[in-house]
Amino acid sequence: MPIFGESSEAEVTRAILAGFTRDLGEYASTEVIIVGGGPSGLVAARELALNGVKNVVIERNNYIGGGFWIGGYLMNTVTLRAPAQKYLDEIGCPYKKYSENLYVTPGPHACSKLIAASMDAGAKIQNMTSFEDIVLREKNRVAGVVINWTPVQALPHEITCVDPIALECELVIDATGHDAYVIQALEKRGLAKRIGEGGMWIEKSEDAVVEHTGIAYPGVIVAGMAVCSTYGLPRMGPTFGAMLLSGKRAAEVALKELGRKPKKK
Amino acid sequence: MARRAGRTKADSRPASPPGDWDIPRIAYVYADPTATTLRAKEVADYIQEKLGIPTEIRDDFFSRHGGDDRETLARAIAATRVRNIMRPFQPMEPVYGEVQFELRLLEEPTKRVPGILYDGYRYLAVMRDLLPPDERTLRVLHLAFEHRILGTFDEDGRYHARAVVCGYPSVVSTSGIVEAPAKPKEYYRVKAQLSIALGATPFDAAKEPFKGQFIDYDDPRLTEVAKGYALQAAMYHITKEAFCEDPECRLFNAHWQAELIRAQVESGSLCPRHAEIASTIASARRPRKGYRR
Repeated sequence: MPIFGESSEAEVTRAILAGFTRDLGEYASTEVIIVGGGPSGLVAARELALNGVKNVVIERNNYIGGGFWIGGYLMNTVTLRAPAQKYLDEIGCPYKKYSENLYVTPGPHACSKLIAASMDAGAKIQNMTSFEDIVLREKNRVAGVVINWTPVQALPHEITCVDPIALECELVIDATGHDAYVIQALEKRGLAKRIGEGGMWIEKSEDAVVEHTGIAYPGVIVAGMAVCSTYGLPRMGPTFGAMLLSGKRAAEVALKELGRKPKKK
Repeated sequence: MARRAGRTKADSRPASPPGDWDIPRIAYVYADPTATTLRAKEVADYIQEKLGIPTEIRDDFFSRHGGDDRETLARAIAATRVRNIMRPFQPMEPVYGEVQFELRLLEEPTKRVPGILYDGYRYLAVMRDLLPPDERTLRVLHLAFEHRILGTFDEDGRYHARAVVCGYPSVVSTSGIVEAPAKPKEYYRVKAQLSIALGATPFDAAKEPFKGQFIDYDDPRLTEVAKGYALQAAMYHITKEAFCEDPECRLFNAHWQAELIRAQVESGSLCPRHAEIASTIASARRPRKGYRR
């Protein structure tokens, strides 16, 4: 007796198409689009989903999680400073105390837990999709993003002249890391500017990242390492704790902007 | 060039303050609500005891003088941010998020967010513009404790964070006391080693072996240290001479935390020369209320 039930190739194709088109149709117009599926983007997505906010994460890579899989020097232990370890409690990820206020956890465990927790909460993820541009509305408010398949960007223009598509939303969260792609797109139009990452030595840079997380331009919230390059904050100081709490702060700001009251967990 | 005090060792005549000293009739000390271990009243009493200047404690500077137009103030503060510590100050219109950040800090005076460096003299200029006309005189000393870190661009071609920026008003940065003077050399080696091992900078772990060897955030010794820096600012206001070269004197310009602790905690006193200047100030006739400049 065969292990698997009977189906056909055509049926498999129809199932993939149906699932994908249903999802894409659903988030062609959504409340929040999060560009970047690293730790800050995933936390923002989870927090928003837990609060009933329809959102989608746009990720250019096949894999989700950004740099959260590994720590420094390609070693897969990631560190978090207190109180960020409490977020690991929330998503059910174990960790160990390394020293006062410093916690360690295996990157793959933390990252996979975070991805699962975000999707369990209801966040949608569109991977292999690159952010290309912003959609602007009245008074130059950002009202969506222009996207395309990531492989299209990797091929010569003569071969892949593929027009992008646009998704509409009320808010965009730029969680694209050091590149701050959404802010860059605004900068190209002369609507915003990035200060660039600073080289300061001061130890409280994690606090600064979280505290600067917020509206950077009408319709755009900046989170995670994108905060550093937008505001010229130190880039070497923050551990992943700042990324998690920045994502959380981004979701709080988004809720406020959308006129929603946060639900109690 | 540093000016000399009222008299020299060889001169035994009673000291009298030089005519160009600006002895204030009152000193306003502005608290820093983010510094939980700073007892501003003790600092004010110390200034009064050492210099004989009546003092008054006030809430934090911006709560007192910031006015209602918080957004304009937030924009002015954000405009003093140092963008590149390796270059002289480059004026730049602050971006939206920077203004919002400063607005949040103004709305929550107990929130401390180090990590940003502000140009000390431009920051002081923002404060000076807020002073009411009847208090904007050298007969009134304004001494503000602040959580923001102020820096000055030096001859070595880079910005340096400062514990105190003397001017009008003067600011003692409670975060600058922690960040500006260097910690023990070995601390930086341990921090670098741990950073390589962990891929992040575990500040608390790196600090642990050196506990007590530097002033940390919310350090119980902060009030004692603050007294010395407040005195530096007050004496600069009066004599225009900021620092002393004696490492045992509270007016010593400490570049290392060890020097800071030696001058402010272990010694906790003025050198004979500056003790004499302080005594001259304390015994001088107080100016009456009114304008001078």
